[in-house]
Amino acid sequence: MTVRETIIETQNLTKYFGALAAVDDVSIKIQAGTLHAIIGPNGAGKTTFFNLLSGNLKPTSGKVFYKGMDLTGKPIHRMIHLGIGRSFQITNIFPNLTVHENIRLASQAMEDNNFHFLMDTAKMDRCEERTAEVVERVGLKSQSLLPARVLSHGDQRKLELGMILAPDPEVLLLDEPTAGMATEQVPELITLIQEVQQSGEKTVVLVEHNMNVVMSVSDKITVMHQGKVLAEGTPAEIAANHEVQTAYLGGLYDLKV
Amino acid sequence: MKNNSSFLTKNRGILIFFAVMLLAPFLIGLFEGSTPLMIWGNQGSLSKFIEGLGIEIFILALFALSFDLLFGITGLLSFGHAMFFAVAAYLTGIALKTLAMPFWGVVLLVLLAAIVQALLFSLVLPRVKGITFTLVSLGLASVFHIIVMSSDMINLTGADVGLQGVPVPAFISPVTERLRFYVIALTLLVATYLFYRRFVASPTGRVCVAIRENEDRAKMLGYNTTIFKVVVMIISSLTAATAGMLHALYQPSISPSIADLGFTVTGLLIVLIGGVGTLSGAIVGAFAFRLLDFTLRRFMGESASFITGAIYVIFVLFVPYGIVGTIRMRQLRTKPGWQRLLGMVKPKN
Repeated sequence: MTVRETIIETQNLTKYFGALAAVDDVSIKIQAGTLHAIIGPNGAGKTTFFNLLSGNLKPTSGKVFYKGMDLTGKPIHRMIHLGIGRSFQITNIFPNLTVHENIRLASQAMEDNNFHFLMDTAKMDRCEERTAEVVERVGLKSQSLLPARVLSHGDQRKLELGMILAPDPEVLLLDEPTAGMATEQVPELITLIQEVQQSGEKTVVLVEHNMNVVMSVSDKITVMHQGKVLAEGTPAEIAANHEVQTAYLGGLYDLKV
Repeated sequence: MKNNSSFLTKNRGILIFFAVMLLAPFLIGLFEGSTPLMIWGNQGSLSKFIEGLGIEIFILALFALSFDLLFGITGLLSFGHAMFFAVAAYLTGIALKTLAMPFWGVVLLVLLAAIVQALLFSLVLPRVKGITFTLVSLGLASVFHIIVMSSDMINLTGADVGLQGVPVPAFISPVTERLRFYVIALTLLVATYLFYRRFVASPTGRVCVAIRENEDRAKMLGYNTTIFKVVVMIISSLTAATAGMLHALYQPSISPSIADLGFTVTGLLIVLIGGVGTLSGAIVGAFAFRLLDFTLRRFMGESASFITGAIYVIFVLFVPYGIVGTIRMRQLRTKPGWQRLLGMVKPKN
C-alpha cells in the first residue's frame, strides 16, 4: 500500500462514563482515501469512539485532529461543513418527511441560501438535482415520495446512507451501515459504499459486525477491545492475529496490551 | 418535484376566503335592508356588528397563526406566547394614551419591542428544550402578567381594571371607520398567511420542520438549529404583536387577561381545533372557536364554558388532527377516539 497522508488522527482519546473507561487511551491514524474498519466485540467502545470522532460526545481527555486541525469542542453542526459526515447505527431520519425531503434537507445544508425566506425550495435547482441523483443512487427512486417511516428497515438504512452521501463529505463515518438489514441486501449496500469510496477518493471509517464484509472491503482494520486498541493492520494481518481470535471467542479477561 | 402552478391556483383557498370576507359585510347589509353605499358609509347596524365579530376573529386567527408557526411548524411549545400579544397591546395603549406618540411611531415601537422580546425568549433557546422551554416561557410571561397587574403600575396599565380610553387615530377608529378597520385586519391576516405559506416552503421553513421532526439530526446535517429557532421566534413575535396592536386599537379596553396563560391556551386551542401545523387551521380554528363561544354564550350565559370545555375534550379525543388535518387525510376515524376515552376511565392493572 502506498503511503498516504493522515486525515484523521486521535491522540490518547479517552472517554469515561462514570468509572467506566468506554474508550481508553486510543491513538490511531486514519489515512486519506482508505476504507478503515473498526471492529470489536459488543461493548468494545466502537460507537463511543465514533461519537468522539463525530463530535457527538466530548472526550474526557485526548484530542481528535482532522487535517491537523483540533476538532475537540467544535459544534456538531460545523462537522459536515468541514467535510465529515456520519451515519447512525440506530436509524436516525426524519420519519414523517418524505424520502425525497430527507435527502433534500441533507443536501440543502451545503447551500448558501438557507435564510432566503421567500424562495421556493423546488426552485433550488442544484439542490434538487443532487437530491434526485442521491435518491437514485441509493435505489429509493420509486419510494421517493413516501414518508420515511413506512420504509422497510433495509430501505431506511439506505436512506440513512443517502443522507450522508448527499452533502458529499470527504470523510464518511459509517456506524454499522448494515445493522439489522436482510442478508441479501447487505452486498448491495457494501458495493455502494465501495463505489462511493473509490470513485470519489473518500475516506470511509466503518464500524461493522459482519466479518465477511470487513475482511473483503477494508484497507486497514483496527480491533478494539474493552475500550483499547487490541490490534491494527491489513485484513490479512488481522485474520492471522492470535489475540484477535481469542477476543472474539471471548474469555480474554486478563488482557494486558 | 417542479411545481409550476401559478400563484392563483396554489393559493385558491385563501383568495376565495379573502373575496368572500370582503363581500360579507355588503351581503349581510342586504339582509337588513342597507344598500352597499350605506355599508360603505358605516351605517348598517347588523353588518357593523358582523364586521366587529369578523375583526375579533381575524385578530385571534393572526395570533393563532403565529402560535402555529412556533408550535406546529417548528415544534416549540411556548406557554408565554400571550406575552408577545399583550406587550404589543399594552405598548400601543400606553404610547397612544400616556405618551401621545404619533401613530406610525407607535407601530415602529411595537414592532421593535416584538423583536426584543423574541430575542429575550431566544436567550434560553440553546439551553432548554421541550417541556423545559415551555415552562421557562411560561415563567417569562408570568413576570409580565404580574407587572401589568401590579397596583404600582395602575397609572400606566390600569392594573386589574385594564387600560381604558385609548385614543385611536380617527382614520382607523373602530366606531366610525369600522369597515376600513375590518378590511385592514382582513388584509393583514391574508398577507401574513400568504407569507407563512411561502416561508414554510422556503429553505428556512423546511429546516424548521426538520427541527420539529428530529432536532439532533438537523444539527448533524449541518444546521445551526438555534439560529433557525431565533428567526422563527422573531417572525412569530412580530405577527403576534401585529395582532396585539389591532386588539388594542379595536377593543375599548385592554384587559390584563390577554397577558395570562389562559390567552396562550386560547391560541393553542384554536390551533388544535383547526389542525396543528396546517397554518390554514389557525384561521378555520379561530372562526370555530369564536363563533362557538359566541353562540353558546348567547344561549347559555356563563355555563357556556362548561359546554365549550366538553367540546374541546371531544375534539382532542376524536379529531386529533383538527378540522383541516382531518379534511386533508380524508378520513375521520372515531374508533381510536373511543379507545382513548376508555383508556382514561378504565383502571390500569
